[in-house]
Amino acid sequence: MKLDYLKYAINNVTHRKMRSWLTVISILIGIMSIFALISFGQGLSNYVTTIAAETGVDKLIVQTKSAGIPGADESFVITKDEVDFLRKINGIKEVVGMYMKVVEVEHDDELKYVFMISLNTGKERALIEEMLTVELDKGRALKTGDRSKVVLGYNYQLENNLFERPITLRDKILIDGNKVEVIGFYEKIGNPQDDSNIYMTEEGVEYFYPEKMNKYGYVIARTELGSDPAEVAEKAEEKLRKFKDQKKGEEDFYIMTFEQAIEMFGSILSVINGVLVLIALVSLLVAGVNITNTMYTAVLERTKEIGIMKAIGAKNSDIVMIFLFESAVVGLVGGILGVLLGYLIAKGGGIIAANAGYSFLQPAFAPSLIIGCLLFSTLMGIIAGVMPARQASKMNPTDALHYE
Amino acid sequence: MTNKETIIELKDVWKTYKMGAVEVHALRGISLKVKRGEFLAIMGPSGSGKSTAMNMVGCLDVPSKGNIYLLDKDIAKMSESELAKVRGKKIGFIFQTFNLINTLTARENITLPMVFQDYPKEERRKRAEDLLKMVELDNRMGHKPSELSGGQQQRIAIARALANEPEVILADEPTGNLDSSTGERVMDFLTKLHKEKGTTIVMVTHDLKTARHADRIEFLKDGQIVPEKEAFT
Repeated sequence: MKLDYLKYAINNVTHRKMRSWLTVISILIGIMSIFALISFGQGLSNYVTTIAAETGVDKLIVQTKSAGIPGADESFVITKDEVDFLRKINGIKEVVGMYMKVVEVEHDDELKYVFMISLNTGKERALIEEMLTVELDKGRALKTGDRSKVVLGYNYQLENNLFERPITLRDKILIDGNKVEVIGFYEKIGNPQDDSNIYMTEEGVEYFYPEKMNKYGYVIARTELGSDPAEVAEKAEEKLRKFKDQKKGEEDFYIMTFEQAIEMFGSILSVINGVLVLIALVSLLVAGVNITNTMYTAVLERTKEIGIMKAIGAKNSDIVMIFLFESAVVGLVGGILGVLLGYLIAKGGGIIAANAGYSFLQPAFAPSLIIGCLLFSTLMGIIAGVMPARQASKMNPTDALHYE
Repeated sequence: MTNKETIIELKDVWKTYKMGAVEVHALRGISLKVKRGEFLAIMGPSGSGKSTAMNMVGCLDVPSKGNIYLLDKDIAKMSESELAKVRGKKIGFIFQTFNLINTLTARENITLPMVFQDYPKEERRKRAEDLLKMVELDNRMGHKPSELSGGQQQRIAIARALANEPEVILADEPTGNLDSSTGERVMDFLTKLHKEKGTTIVMVTHDLKTARHADRIEFLKDGQIVPEKEAFT
C-alpha cells in the first residue's frame, strides 16, 4: 500500500515539473553546501589525526603565549640555559631550540620575505625534521661548519612560484644581503608557508644575526618512552616558570604536547567549519519553508482530488500519507542532487587547494555523511509537509468535491 | 419488493447551512427507504436539496438533525475513519463531472478504491482488468482521462464505483455532462448492472427521461419529498 502512495507521489511531483524543480533546487543548495563543508571538515580532521600520528605523541613544544605564528614574536625568547634546564627535567629525553626569523631573500633581482628556521646540526636535527615532517629531497643536509649554506623548502624549485626562475642546487642567493649557497631542498610538506621556509645552521644564524644569539623562538622536546607526555609538559611548565622567575598565570610561555597543539588547531578549524555548516542549515530551513509553501499550493490545487479520494474511501490517514510521501520525495530528490553537486564542488575545491599548494586541504567522503545528508533532506521534506498534509486530510469531502 | 431488506433509511433528516446570520435549510425532514436491489431516482429542480440528500446517503456529509441508517447502522454515530471505510466498501459514487483523477491512467483510477482498502496487488490488477472489460474499455486502460471522451470517462467512473463491490451505487446526475446518445449508453450500463447483477442504485437527476430508467422515482422540492404533480410547479 505504501508503495502505491510512493508511486502516486512521484507521479504528482513530476506532474508539476516547474514548481517541483524550484523546490528541489532550494533544498539542493542547502544540502550541497552542508555536504561540501562537512566533507572538507572531515578531511581536515583526518589530516590532523594523521599528522598527530606521524609526528608522534612523544613531543612537547614550548612557545610564546601571545597569538601569532610560532617564533614570529621577537619579544619572546628562550635562552640556551633554559633549554639546558629543560633537558635535565625528568621524563624529557631530548630538547632542541630553534631560531626563527623573517628574512628578505633576493634571487635574480626579485625580493621575497620568508621564514627562516635554524637547524641544529647535532643528533637533535632529526627531532626538528620529524616535527616539521620534512625530509630531504635533493642535495645534502646541513652539517656542522655550514655557515653560508642553506637548505630550502620545496617550492623554491618551482617555476613562477616564489621566484620566476626556479632556484637550483649550488645557486647563490642573498639573504638579508648576505650571499649564501643552496645545498639542498626539502620535500613537499603540503602548504605554501612551510614549503617556502629557509633552513640555516644555528651557527649560521648566530654569525649573520649576532643579535639573535641565545634567543630561541621555539623549542621542541621529546619525552622519554613510557612517560606520560601531558604530565611531563605540566611538570616542565611549572619548573621552567620557577626557573624563569615568573608568577603562576603570568608566564609568557606555555608547554604543551604536540597532540594538544594539533588538537587545538583542529578544534579552531572545526569551529569555523561549524559556523559555516550552521549558515548552510539556515538556508535549509528556508528550503523547508519553501516545501511547506509548495505543498500548501498543491493541497489547494488538488482540493477536488482530495474530495474524490475521500468519496472513494480514502481515510484521513491515507490523505496525510499521500501528501507526506510527496514532500518526502521532493526532499529526497533535493538531497540526492545536493550530495552529487556537493561531491563535485568538494572534489573541485580539493583540486584547486592542491594546486594552490594546500594539498592537505582535501575533502573526505564518509558513507555516513552521504546517508546522513539523504536522511536529513528526506526528513526535512516530511516535516515541512506535515502541516499541509494535515490540512488536506481535514477537508470536508463535500466541500472539497465542489471546490472549483 | 417490499419484502426485501432495507439498506438505506432516512428518518426525518434535516440539513441546515449557516450563511452568515441566515440559516438555509437544504433538507427539511426527509424520510425515505431504499431496499436492496432497488433502482431509485430522486428528481427535482436545482436547489431542491437532492445533491445534499445524496451526499448524506453517501456518508460524505452528516445530517444536522435526524438519522440515516446504512445497513441498520446510524452514520451520524460513526467516526471519520468508519465513514471512510463505509464510503470505500459499501458505496460506489458516480458523479456528473466524472471526477476521475487526471494524473492517473484509466486502470489506476479503477484500482485506487482498492488501494485504499488494502487489496493485494495481484487481485487489484485482475479486478481492474475485469471491470475495464465490463465497461468495454479494456483497450484504453493505459489512457489518462484527458485522452478519453466524456462517455468513456463516465464508464471508467462506473468501473471505479464497482471496484470494491459496493452495496449501493450512488449516481449524481450521471448523464448531466453527456450528450443524449452517450448519456443513453451510460444509462444502459447502469440499467444492465441493476437488472443482471441486482445492484442497488440511487440516482439523482433533473431529467425525467433519465429518471425513467429507475424502478421508482421520488420528487424533491425545497428540501422536502413531494408528490410528482407538485414537484415542477
